[in-house]
Amino acid sequence: MSRPGFVLEVDDRTPPLVVHEGEGFRLEEFPLGTHVVYPPESMPGVPDVDEAIQRALLHPEGSEPLPELLRAGMRLTIAFDDISIPLPPMRKPDIRQRVIEAVLTMAADAGVDDVQLIAANALHRRMTDAELKDIVGERVFRSFHPQGLLYNHDAEDRSNLLHVGMTDQDEDVEINRRAAESDLLIYVNVNLVAMDGGHKSVPIGLASYKSLRHHHNSKTMVRSHSFMDPEKSHLHHSAWRMGRMLADHLKIFTIETTMNNEVFPKPYDFLLKREWEWSVKDQASMLAVRRGLSVAPGKLRHKMFHDLRAPYGITGVHAGETEAVHAKTLANVHRQQMVEVQGQSDVLVLGVPYLGPYNVNSVMNPILATCMGLGYYFNSYRGQPVVRRGGAVILYHPVKPDFNQLHHPSYVDFYEEVLAESTDPAVIEAKHEEAYATDPWYVHLYRTSYAYHGVHPFYMWYWAAHAMDHVDDVVWVGGDRRAVSRLGFRAATTLSDALEMVSGTVGSSPSITYLHNPPHLIADVR
Amino acid sequence: MGGLVKGGVEDVRTAARGWRWGRRSLVPRSAEAHTLAKESSVFPTAWSRRRPAKAIREVVQQGGLRPLFRSQVSPHVEGLDMLGRVEPPVLFVANHASHLDTPLILLSLPDEWRRITAVAAAADYFFDTWWRAVGSALVFNTFPIERRGGSLAATPGDVLHDGWNLVVYPEGTRSVDGWVGSFRLGAAWLAVEHQVPVVPVAHRGTFAAMPRGQGWPSRGRKPVTVRFGPALRPAEGESARDFAPRIRSAVATLLDEDRSTWWEARRRAAAGAIPDPSGPDVATWRRVWAQTESPRPQAGIPRRRAWRR
Repeated sequence: MSRPGFVLEVDDRTPPLVVHEGEGFRLEEFPLGTHVVYPPESMPGVPDVDEAIQRALLHPEGSEPLPELLRAGMRLTIAFDDISIPLPPMRKPDIRQRVIEAVLTMAADAGVDDVQLIAANALHRRMTDAELKDIVGERVFRSFHPQGLLYNHDAEDRSNLLHVGMTDQDEDVEINRRAAESDLLIYVNVNLVAMDGGHKSVPIGLASYKSLRHHHNSKTMVRSHSFMDPEKSHLHHSAWRMGRMLADHLKIFTIETTMNNEVFPKPYDFLLKREWEWSVKDQASMLAVRRGLSVAPGKLRHKMFHDLRAPYGITGVHAGETEAVHAKTLANVHRQQMVEVQGQSDVLVLGVPYLGPYNVNSVMNPILATCMGLGYYFNSYRGQPVVRRGGAVILYHPVKPDFNQLHHPSYVDFYEEVLAESTDPAVIEAKHEEAYATDPWYVHLYRTSYAYHGVHPFYMWYWAAHAMDHVDDVVWVGGDRRAVSRLGFRAATTLSDALEMVSGTVGSSPSITYLHNPPHLIADVR
Repeated sequence: MGGLVKGGVEDVRTAARGWRWGRRSLVPRSAEAHTLAKESSVFPTAWSRRRPAKAIREVVQQGGLRPLFRSQVSPHVEGLDMLGRVEPPVLFVANHASHLDTPLILLSLPDEWRRITAVAAAADYFFDTWWRAVGSALVFNTFPIERRGGSLAATPGDVLHDGWNLVVYPEGTRSVDGWVGSFRLGAAWLAVEHQVPVVPVAHRGTFAAMPRGQGWPSRGRKPVTVRFGPALRPAEGESARDFAPRIRSAVATLLDEDRSTWWEARRRAAAGAIPDPSGPDVATWRRVWAQTESPRPQAGIPRRRAWRR
């Protein structure tokens, strides 16, 4: 029986608490009275994943069973979520592999010949062959990849995009042509957080810049309160309009999967436990890991973290009509991640870990750290933000100005040129976005190399727009001063310094809330 | 290398302080409702009541515990004559305010009684780690008793059956403010079930000397008093539910007697005016404040001094 999440009030009995900061973590002694939001403990996974997949495919929500949708001579396309989720990547076999194998087995039984598999990476970088193989498994990879039938979606391949139409709010719906012209599009999703899945899968994962720009913009993000709450997210409202339109145009069979909170394997599993319940072994592990990290060269430290594979348990597999499926998926996600929090605080503290959706096998640069902290973590709420309007956010991360030139070439220019001029999401959107989005060199790198699209850093910045609009002060503890200054924020060495720095905004004895994640949580702020 | 060592030392210090190395770990108050009850593990203690352990205990208690105890507090014992009117095994039933209570009671007993007296101790507290379990079983002759119900290696009945006296604290835990809490039925049930007499024991001053949360007695050899009362026996057909209040009332009378005199306490008992041992219904600080005052044993009778001034 897993325990629900709860809010701890730091008292004199509270040991130091773990705060993630990039490729490491620190033990922080929070001021007495600080509220610490702990996620629910990991729920038990389904005992037989393959059986759960079969049951979902044979008894779908709001749809005929999958075998009845499959017939010889049809065009079948299977799209699947890319490497950006789950985080950390899943220990093999990946749930997508298991679902795709089950679907292909049924397709083979039905005599379907025309099958293609597309990674729905939108404007994310292309995945390498090894990464594709990691997700779909060796059998699927060997059967489809050599024939060019397993590939990454290319949002700049004009010949393979289809403008399906406009929504009632004049939003272009343009997606992958093969997917749009299929008799059946099956989407295989991994639903890590509440923002994933539903109509966000096909209309975004397989879309082009022309379509994405309608919701991936600063105005939409500022108005999405939050984008982790689909009902209140303008991003999702737009995606839902597009998805409903697409559903009228083609048959989509959605398969969504949810997982529990087992994000750290041994010997890092102490990071999943509540600190006061650490055994002697957990304390020894913590000390050993911290010493190991302190002496390890940067590359080894990077490898130690990025080689982690999470032993997730699968908490649900649902298939069928997109919205009916997603309702069940969201319920599962909420059950695993939701924590009730009473009232807002003056200060929100967040530890930004080593990994976000866009630096798998890569480096978390300052823009991605901002996206992770002020974007994903800040928006991990339902109801109202954890911090009050005009409050302050304190984040932990080294914010080193290190960039992966292969994956994030446009980020370098965004950091050096755009942020040097302005950090206001609306200003940079108006002034610079189109130039980056249409830059031929970035387009070339996106299509032929492993680079994120030229416009991607803008989107990351918009992701943080709601937080920037909502709070008055942002301080990074342990952050590189020059890099943090370039981002338009301030850096501090310790929490005490940071609290001193924000005292002008929130006073000298502010109420403080620390979101103790990872693992993921959603603060249901009443 | 220097940084590695320095950082390591700092981390170890932080962990030692944060996780209270060498002391019992604590759960933050707001997390108590979210903490799982520890699974009870059966810890065998029969060895601690056999000859080798008894011999070691005798040495430890007489050679170490007794002088140490007397160096830290100033005990005053009354009512031992009551033991002459009863045959072991008996249940010593006492109020519970401090970790000093057990050594106070044990070391107050005549040696022939002390050597055959065991102590019922909370399984989830004294038997949660092997070293704590071995230590307390060896020094104090404790055996685990489950406060929340569960299986036990040696039930109190078995221990009584083997002829051992038992020290039982029916409150189940130490008092948070020094006053007496409600008595659970366990001690009364044991007495009724096994037809053994109950010797009520009342002590004062242990809360003032070493309250809950304190790891060592306060400086200054604070006085502590312990008083043994006349044995109670469950009447024919009397249930544990009826017997338990009688035991509590006997402890309350002893406390009153310790505060005043036997005669005054008897008269108040006859008039049904024994002060409620659970204390007055006043602000918490006033309750604690009242109990932080050490008792004055035998008020009015000057203490005999070894060296005249």
